[in-house]
Amino acid sequence: MDNVSLSIKRGEFVLIVGSSGSGKSTLLNMIGLIDRPTSGRIILDNTETTQLNDNQISQFRNKKLGFIFQFSNLLQDLSVLENVMLPQQIQENSPNIIKKAKQLLVKVGLEDQIPKRANKISGGQAQRAAVARGLINNPAIVLADEPTGNLDSVTAANIVKLMKDMAKEFNQTFIVVTHDRQQFPDVDRVITIKDGRSFEGEQPEMELIA
Amino acid sequence: MDYRLNLAMRMLANKRGSLMGAVLAVSIGILVIHVNFVIFQGIYDAIIRDMTDYRFGDIYITHEEDSTIERSHLVYTNWFERVPIIQAATPRLSGSADIEFRNAGQENEEFDVPVVGVDPVTDVQASTIHTTISDGQYVYARNSIVVGETVSQDLGGIRVGDNIKLKITNQWGVEESKRFMVTGISKTAGGQGFDTSVIIHIDTLRSMLDRPNESNSIFVKLNEKNPDGAKEVKKQFLAAYANDELKVQTIEESAEATLKGFRSGIAMINLIGYFGMMSSAFAIVVIQMMLVNNKTKEIGVMRAIGAKRKDILIIFIFQGMIIGMCGAGVGTGFGLVYTTYAKITNMQFEGSLALEVNYNWEKIGQTALIAFGLAVVASLYPSYRATKLQPVEAMRTV
Repeated sequence: MDNVSLSIKRGEFVLIVGSSGSGKSTLLNMIGLIDRPTSGRIILDNTETTQLNDNQISQFRNKKLGFIFQFSNLLQDLSVLENVMLPQQIQENSPNIIKKAKQLLVKVGLEDQIPKRANKISGGQAQRAAVARGLINNPAIVLADEPTGNLDSVTAANIVKLMKDMAKEFNQTFIVVTHDRQQFPDVDRVITIKDGRSFEGEQPEMELIA
Repeated sequence: MDYRLNLAMRMLANKRGSLMGAVLAVSIGILVIHVNFVIFQGIYDAIIRDMTDYRFGDIYITHEEDSTIERSHLVYTNWFERVPIIQAATPRLSGSADIEFRNAGQENEEFDVPVVGVDPVTDVQASTIHTTISDGQYVYARNSIVVGETVSQDLGGIRVGDNIKLKITNQWGVEESKRFMVTGISKTAGGQGFDTSVIIHIDTLRSMLDRPNESNSIFVKLNEKNPDGAKEVKKQFLAAYANDELKVQTIEESAEATLKGFRSGIAMINLIGYFGMMSSAFAIVVIQMMLVNNKTKEIGVMRAIGAKRKDILIIFIFQGMIIGMCGAGVGTGFGLVYTTYAKITNMQFEGSLALEVNYNWEKIGQTALIAFGLAVVASLYPSYRATKLQPVEAMRTV
């Protein structure tokens, strides 16, 4: 990334688009504190994250951020329910976790798959479970990296609708990286990444900060 | 249940091959130690058992400087009779004799044999040497003799009822001869008894040696195995006969002098067992490193959703603990099965004495604990490596 500067408001549903290798996933990883910038600052929810140590970053990721990956990345050793519970269990092992996870799984339409092992469900179902896992801690920001990249168009549309519904219901900021703009027809904002630089809108005509 | 323990268990359960390999590595280490213990400690204990039963008793008394105790043995045996934990005390006298036997008109070549003089009445109370008579019965009269199996063979196969002559040179250098009737043949496993000796009545030997009332040793047997009791009796006995210049040894002390080398051997073999256990720890390191490499993506996901390095460390240390527990359990189980088998079958090796098999729970627990500890220690490095994975690198692994 090179001199990228952008500001996203709470509750916005933001799409980051760009061609393959443009740096959109790198930007998402930096926002998600999975990767660190060599210089510059990342301020999330009024916290200067570049000053945080490893433990504080982990805690921040756990409490404030939700992740939805391209390949769902559910832990295959656990059940669907246990996968959804995991971020909350990392935070604290409260007795309400199961109830909350089950409610979320009902919301994403996986009530029948709750006890199944993660490797026993379809790709679309796994991605729904991943959405539920990303939302279990009520994060301020949900980061999704190509959440529909590995799905057929019908399933992908379902996942997009689900994410939008969730964003509206829980008033969360969604930052979604995709190379397929068409799957997200109605979003608050689109940011295009080209050659490691960001531009507001779908065409790289207006540079935010160069 | 802690989610890290749950995850550690699930990860291992889904890698049964690795789990079984690691558990097997730990259990084989434990089994080697158990087998070593049963065989070598079993032989050691069996030798001690036979030394206690046949030669030294639980307490063994000799003179500090002289080869014989001149004072009448009755003084001492009467003292022991009053001690409640003592089963019996008996005197013994030893010497050597030329043995002569005429078989079918042919006289054997004379050779020297050790002679043991026993008191037939008290010896059967204190010692179990009389139970080693494979044919005939124990010494019961002044002219009866029990011949050790090896001596019997050297004489061309002596039988009960045969007559043999002993020639003994007494303390004044005068040769005394006497004919005896063979009443029994003594045979012990491993030759721990008097297989290479002959046993006669102590008074006969005293008379032939011209050492009236003298003994070489007093053999004292306790009612039951009681090392602390033996030490206490020794202390009191020495206090009672402080001026008699007696040397009093418990079986542990007598055995220590006799079996010092053997004990070093056992320690060496146990050391080999522990080295085996340590090599199983290396196997755990390799297997766990494979597990960590296989779970790179999962570690990345865990870190991305907020797990700290400490959490990752704990997951893999839990795995080490599970492997250690399963390995220690399985190894101890196999070890106990082997020990029980050895005990039930009175395991012995050809020509050797039956092993004295004991369940040494302290040793069993210690071995299991060491195996468990080694498995946990072995898991530290792979666990540490797992924590060093950066989420962004781990996430690239698909």
